[in-house]
Amino acid sequence: MKLSSHTIVLEAVLAVLCVILALAAPGFFTAENLLNVLRNISMQGIIALGMTMVIIAGEIDLSVGSAVAFAGCWMAWLTGHLDAVLSPVPAVLLAMIVTIGTGFVPGWITGILRTRYGVPSFITTLALLTGLAGIAELLTDGFPLTPFPEWYGSLGGGYLAGIPVPAIMFVATFAVILVLMDHTVFGRSVYAVGGNAEAARLSGIPVARIKTAVLALTSALAAVAGILQSSEIMSGTATTAKGWELDIIAAVIIGGTSLTGGAGTVRGTMVGIVFLGVIINGMTLLNVNEYWQHVVRGGLILTAVLLNRMQKHAHANGATA
Amino acid sequence: MTTLELRQVARTYPGTVALKDFSVSWTGGNIHALIGRNGAGKSTLVRILTGAIPPTSGTVLLNGTEIRFRSPADAGRAGIAAVYQELSLLPDLSIAENIHLGRLPRRQGALSHFVDWNEASRRTEELFARLHLSLNPSTKVGTLPVAQQQLVEIAKAMSAEPDILLLDEPTSALSFAEAEAVFALLRTLAARGVLILYITHRLGELRQLAGTITALRDGVCGGSFPAADVTPAQMVSMMFGEDVKLTRMLGHEPGTRTVLQVRGLSRPPAFENVSFEVHEGEVLGIAGLLGSGRTELLRAIAGADVPQRGDVTVNGAVCHPADPSVMKRAGVAMAPESRKEHGLVTGLSVRANLCLADLARLTERGLVSPGREDAMVATAIRECGIGVPDQHMPVSALSGGNQQKVVLGKWLATGPHVLLLDEPTRGIDLAARAQIAQTIGTLSARGLATVVVSSELEELLLLCHRILVMRRGRIVGALDGATTTLEELLAQCMEPT
Repeated sequence: MKLSSHTIVLEAVLAVLCVILALAAPGFFTAENLLNVLRNISMQGIIALGMTMVIIAGEIDLSVGSAVAFAGCWMAWLTGHLDAVLSPVPAVLLAMIVTIGTGFVPGWITGILRTRYGVPSFITTLALLTGLAGIAELLTDGFPLTPFPEWYGSLGGGYLAGIPVPAIMFVATFAVILVLMDHTVFGRSVYAVGGNAEAARLSGIPVARIKTAVLALTSALAAVAGILQSSEIMSGTATTAKGWELDIIAAVIIGGTSLTGGAGTVRGTMVGIVFLGVIINGMTLLNVNEYWQHVVRGGLILTAVLLNRMQKHAHANGATA
Repeated sequence: MTTLELRQVARTYPGTVALKDFSVSWTGGNIHALIGRNGAGKSTLVRILTGAIPPTSGTVLLNGTEIRFRSPADAGRAGIAAVYQELSLLPDLSIAENIHLGRLPRRQGALSHFVDWNEASRRTEELFARLHLSLNPSTKVGTLPVAQQQLVEIAKAMSAEPDILLLDEPTSALSFAEAEAVFALLRTLAARGVLILYITHRLGELRQLAGTITALRDGVCGGSFPAADVTPAQMVSMMFGEDVKLTRMLGHEPGTRTVLQVRGLSRPPAFENVSFEVHEGEVLGIAGLLGSGRTELLRAIAGADVPQRGDVTVNGAVCHPADPSVMKRAGVAMAPESRKEHGLVTGLSVRANLCLADLARLTERGLVSPGREDAMVATAIRECGIGVPDQHMPVSALSGGNQQKVVLGKWLATGPHVLLLDEPTRGIDLAARAQIAQTIGTLSARGLATVVVSSELEELLLLCHRILVMRRGRIVGALDGATTTLEELLAQCMEPT
């Protein structure tokens, strides 16, 4: 995929923003703070990478926030119950395998309903947004479950070679999905399916399988993020990750991915998510009121999309002239 | 009596003359047919008469007075209404609401912000009574068959009580039986004194329907005669000129080995019990008027729609066309009728589109190899003569001809045994047509079995070894491409009278 000028502009703006913050906000440009930013964005970032594929394929997933909460509670519930029959290490590992192994199910269901019965993914995932949060509440009975051994916390809160573990997972996921989208047949098919599903079908591309796969994969990534999150807070909490879906979709859109499908880049999403993380961190360091932070983020989404539209417009005019 | 007269009307665009010195006179109370092949200038004429564009020169006289439209609204005020092939109805609204869209009757007095539904319904019933239509005004438009939707569309145009009604291929999506209802309505309108200008590709029914037939040929008038006097042969010469030069492209004879065999393929009501064979190196044409089932047949062979009965054999292997990927594996490729909707992913680059049908062959150890991709793209661009300065350009920036070549190139990359082409030259300039014809000739000489569907009959005669004729979803004849004349082919395509 050729790099869009939008990503380059966004990267330049991000660089300028970092320079301004380095000068204006004491403590911004330190290794500790930058790693902190990276950790803060990594869990949403992992999901945003999957969401990029979903949106490029012309679909949407509103359930990822609830999927994170559900995965954390499911992980805690399983650990708690397995603890009774197994020693802690195998109990946690088995719970983790089961959680990730079942994590793809919500997305798979969304994909099946979409491709076999024509139910829009917006609707199914809206239902899952409520439903999964409900199941998480049922599993925990409304209170945080805390069955985890001490060492479990190093997954979400620990460091490897001085770098936060979630950040390593985020960067690794980025590398895998970047290769997947730019250098495999699967990735090419995702762009084609989102750009024109009927033309893709007539070209012999398995449209239903591609759509289901990206939805299932994103769901599984939400489960991974859910495990990291449960480790960071050392509990399965049903009320966690509320509203993440909107932050994640915002990051994907800021990164230049089109909500109508068929266009977007994984690299753009990476920039979008870093952008949001840096803005929040910078404003916190500058002691900007949290309510203002919300307003600024809203403005950022609009500005990024407007910028993208204006570039496309200018490009289209240039092409016909 | 309404009269519409055009005197030496011309319209030029930079580089092309769409209409030149067109003069004709039409009178009310009659159906006037306007025929001509694609690009002959019919749409330009409609756009001039509806005020969408002004003529470059010449005058239009309505009832003897010269008229100049600055906008479509001017044309509407002058009493000219138009109905197009694409429906403009909102499927989830009722018939009455669709007909009164944007001008729904209001209630009286203090309630004047509210819609008077009873009045809307009453007016619609009155309109339908005048037009001899029996439809319930409260029915949702989306629940009606397409033919009845087209009737509603015409009724909507007539609700403004225009003197002149332009119809731009209103029946092209309809089968013969469905079109009959539209024809009945047109006859009713003509009997009420309306001047109807009916633009159509359906030549078959014209002599029963129209009062006069006028042909456009490359922007000039190819003749205007009372319909009863025009024979199919005359229609041909009106549309194509006296000197139809048929220079055949094919320099080779087909082989004897059967590549594609279609047996008892049915997908009612579109087509039924269709059987035929295509040999190695053969170019087979399928001729038929609009609505004859030819597009549906090609789609079923390619697996785009699942046929109800029958099977397809490719190189001796029997396939049941359940899915395009199944038929692709069997070696069947199809360039569909509408390029932008079904052929291309317009947001992607030329390069990405060219690789779309054969992604699997691009990979080396699981990853797409840029080297293989370069080779595939370069071959396709060379073989199909695609004129593109940069293969990373979005395919939407290309001309229609080059887009069609991209569709062709995409499929040729898969190394097909059978190539199905649905209207391969629609909306394409002459140079690109020639190039596509040449590509088809070259490929078939190498052994590719090709099936071409086209409404341009003279093109079929140029391109094909053999031509099958379809009428009402059945194959009714087979003609030799080399010896058949255009008149004979057209006569075969029309309903016997």
